[in-house]
Amino acid sequence: MATQFRIVSLPVQGMTCASCVSHVETALKELNGTSDVVVNLATNKASLAYDPARLTLTDMVRAVSDVGYSVPATELTLEVRGMTCASCVAHVEGALKELEGVISAVVNLGLNTARVTYISGVVTTSAMKRAVRDVGYEAQERSEGADALDRERQAREDEIKRQGRNLLIAGGVGVIVMIGTFYDMLGPLQAFVPQWLSYKWVIGLLTTPIVLGPGRQFFTNSWRGLTHGVTDMNLLYATGIGAAYGIAVINTVFPSAGFGGEGATFFESAALLTAFIILGRWLEALTRGRTSEAIRKLMKLQPKIARVIRNDKEEEIPADEVEIDDLILVRPGESIPVDGIVKEGYSAVDESMLTGESLPVEKKTGDNVIGGTLNKTGAFKFNATRVGKDTALAQIIKLVEDAQASKAPIQKLADWVAGHFILGVHMLAVAVFVFWFFIGFQLFFDPNSSFILSPYKLGEIGVFGFSLLLSVTVLVISCPCAVGLATPSAIMAGTGKAAEHGVLFKAAEAIENASKLQTIVFDKTGTLTKGEPSVTDVVISKQSAVISSTDHRSLTADHLLRYAAIAEKNSEHPLGEAIVRGAQARGLTLVDTESFNSIPGQGVEAKVERLNVLLGNRKLMHERSVDICELAQEAERLEGDGKTVMFVAVEGQAAGLIAVADTLKEYAAEAVHHLHRLGIETAMITGDNRRTAEAIARQVGIDRVLAEVLPQDKALEVKKLQALGKKVAMVGDGVNDAPALAQADVGMAIGSGTDVAKETGDVILIKDDIRDVVVALEVAKATMRKVKQNLFWAFVYNTLGIPLGAGLFYPFISLIISPELAGLMMAISSVSVTLNTLLLKGFKPSMRREDKPQQGKGQPAPQLATAHGD
Amino acid sequence: MEHEEVEKEVARKSALIYLPISLGVALLFLLVATVFGNYPLVAKIGGTIWVGLLSLIVSMPVITARVKRQAQGK
Repeated sequence: MATQFRIVSLPVQGMTCASCVSHVETALKELNGTSDVVVNLATNKASLAYDPARLTLTDMVRAVSDVGYSVPATELTLEVRGMTCASCVAHVEGALKELEGVISAVVNLGLNTARVTYISGVVTTSAMKRAVRDVGYEAQERSEGADALDRERQAREDEIKRQGRNLLIAGGVGVIVMIGTFYDMLGPLQAFVPQWLSYKWVIGLLTTPIVLGPGRQFFTNSWRGLTHGVTDMNLLYATGIGAAYGIAVINTVFPSAGFGGEGATFFESAALLTAFIILGRWLEALTRGRTSEAIRKLMKLQPKIARVIRNDKEEEIPADEVEIDDLILVRPGESIPVDGIVKEGYSAVDESMLTGESLPVEKKTGDNVIGGTLNKTGAFKFNATRVGKDTALAQIIKLVEDAQASKAPIQKLADWVAGHFILGVHMLAVAVFVFWFFIGFQLFFDPNSSFILSPYKLGEIGVFGFSLLLSVTVLVISCPCAVGLATPSAIMAGTGKAAEHGVLFKAAEAIENASKLQTIVFDKTGTLTKGEPSVTDVVISKQSAVISSTDHRSLTADHLLRYAAIAEKNSEHPLGEAIVRGAQARGLTLVDTESFNSIPGQGVEAKVERLNVLLGNRKLMHERSVDICELAQEAERLEGDGKTVMFVAVEGQAAGLIAVADTLKEYAAEAVHHLHRLGIETAMITGDNRRTAEAIARQVGIDRVLAEVLPQDKALEVKKLQALGKKVAMVGDGVNDAPALAQADVGMAIGSGTDVAKETGDVILIKDDIRDVVVALEVAKATMRKVKQNLFWAFVYNTLGIPLGAGLFYPFISLIISPELAGLMMAISSVSVTLNTLLLKGFKPSMRREDKPQQGKGQPAPQLATAHGD
Repeated sequence: MEHEEVEKEVARKSALIYLPISLGVALLFLLVATVFGNYPLVAKIGGTIWVGLLSLIVSMPVITARVKRQAQGK
């Protein structure tokens, strides 16, 4: 057979010279199945012919990447309408992935979106839309921000209206059909119902518009899919409804055909089955929108109007027309339109909607403000710094959307099962029919048997009618729509709930991994501690009294700190800066030194207000023969707590000591305590020496200390923990700890502020509050709990429903399920899954439930003391 | 345009495979029902149609997808 080569032109990024061209050309030529490879540096393109039987575009992309260049991929989100189940997801994904140039396609049933990564120039968006349409769905490019919100809401409302209208027709007429069918059993109510309503032909005439009107969607959609080689839920419904209607028509025309004779109609089965399936669709449309409420809430925050000051005049313009550096006025009660820096004015701003911070944040000149937050009290002006897609709110929305559009590993399995389910169910329906036709009916049929919850007796039914009913019931009852909805609906609700509290999960996989964590490793500096040393203790010695007597001044802790600060005023050493900050924080006036000398590696000496002040370590004191014996015990105790001690001598006498340490962040100990309550092991990773690290770990309550670890080895330490079989999270600075964050099963970047796009890590904690680690874990656990509950109920429904529908219990109970009852059960199963997910809306993390002012907790204030107990 | 032509070709080729398969399964059912049982004519014909229809539904997407993959050289 002759090889059918295809021509393709790939964009290649990163080529700068002829040698790059050669590398790329060689890499592509070396692939088995390519020919005529030509790489053009000017156009940054590689043109080649390839044999699709031997290699794919992904192979070529990988080959280019392997030699250090890249084939840039573009992302596109399509809104896909008409998907109802997990098999639809598989079909749409399959159709997109089949297109040449599409690298990946991820469909989210809950959001009705398909996120496609493709090589632009190889495949067009119109080809993608056509491919989706070809398998029976509608597709259009998704718009951004408010437009997307409007369109999404409009589409959802249209679907609710459409299914509501169908339900009204199918349900309303279905009830009349039901009344007509059971006319003989109405008793005294017969007086209110005309007898002609019970005539089979009338019931048939009433049922036909239900099947051909509201029920038509199932036939047309399933046919479109079938012709393109795909099967979905619509096929189950169509065969179910079609068969029930067919039985009814045959039984009406040929009463002796074996479907129950004159006494039975089966039109009510077709009518009510259609009505129940549509009821399920309608309820699903109603509830599915609510699981994505969080993202809509975020989108609603985007202000539409900005009051810009141009040429000294206030102008109201659309918020998306604000430009960087525009001066914007915000009055009390107004939303801040874009991100910026306050230029003048003072106010308190409610940022709770983005950061979860419950208290309004004070804003003054120079402070950052975030678009979408609410100005509470004063008016202020600010300069726009980030507009449009770059604002914090737009970034957060994008991140949450991306997370919701991604798939958790558990969902991939559920999708695969559901995707292959439909064909399996049809095969099962054949098997059930054949069994009851050839064997079961003769062995087990009981003329006195009936349908569950129905007065109908099956007495006159024949072998074909009985076998067909069971076969149809299997088709209807097996619908795996609940399985398809179980995971995405919970992931959507969970990511939304986390975002409400300032915790952003980047992907569904991060939620699943976070729920399984066993060990959390905290970076020390900047994560558990503030990353900035400050004065924690000032201790004066007994000899200070001697100094006081000689100088006629009483030496207090404040004096000591002030002398030290004046001596360090010109120092650039971090410890010196900490002392200066400590003195300034206490309102001490710092004059200039009369003389100053820095002693490298030891300390400083200075003349302060005619006094000789020496500040430094033990070595310095020994060299200058200053007796520090009296302070030695206290110094050792403080050093044991991980603090750095500096001795102060005045006029050659030991006057006291100052301890400086990196202080713990607020709530660090509380967060670790909560993690322990959740059964999580905690570890701290730092480059500090073990003694200091262990002192800090003791204060916080950390279980395991990984000390003296170089920054580049942090990832290795995480790997070692993983090698012990632990699921590890790393919490750290999103920029400095990037390798360790990437190595961990879950990387949490803390305190990123609102510039979320820059952050690495799977989870972003917007606030600098370490308790959000607990929030992230609790939300993840709650979400996965919902996923598991949903999957359990969905599978339980199918596991019990299918044997019941197939008549497995019939020999023992002489009851079978009617197709319409199967339809009702199916509708209830998918709605119950969505309603169970909606319970997540009421979830509140324990740290938020207990939220109350806890001043000073975890924040050691500088202790002022004397060595002799003053 | 080329895409549509490929789709038509795939549909034609697939039909040539799945129609005989489902017809064959249906006829097999009829044969078994006729030879091994004393079933009413309506049951035999109805059963044949139902089995044929379900066989069509099962074979149609499987065959179409396979033919499509072959046509795309995958």
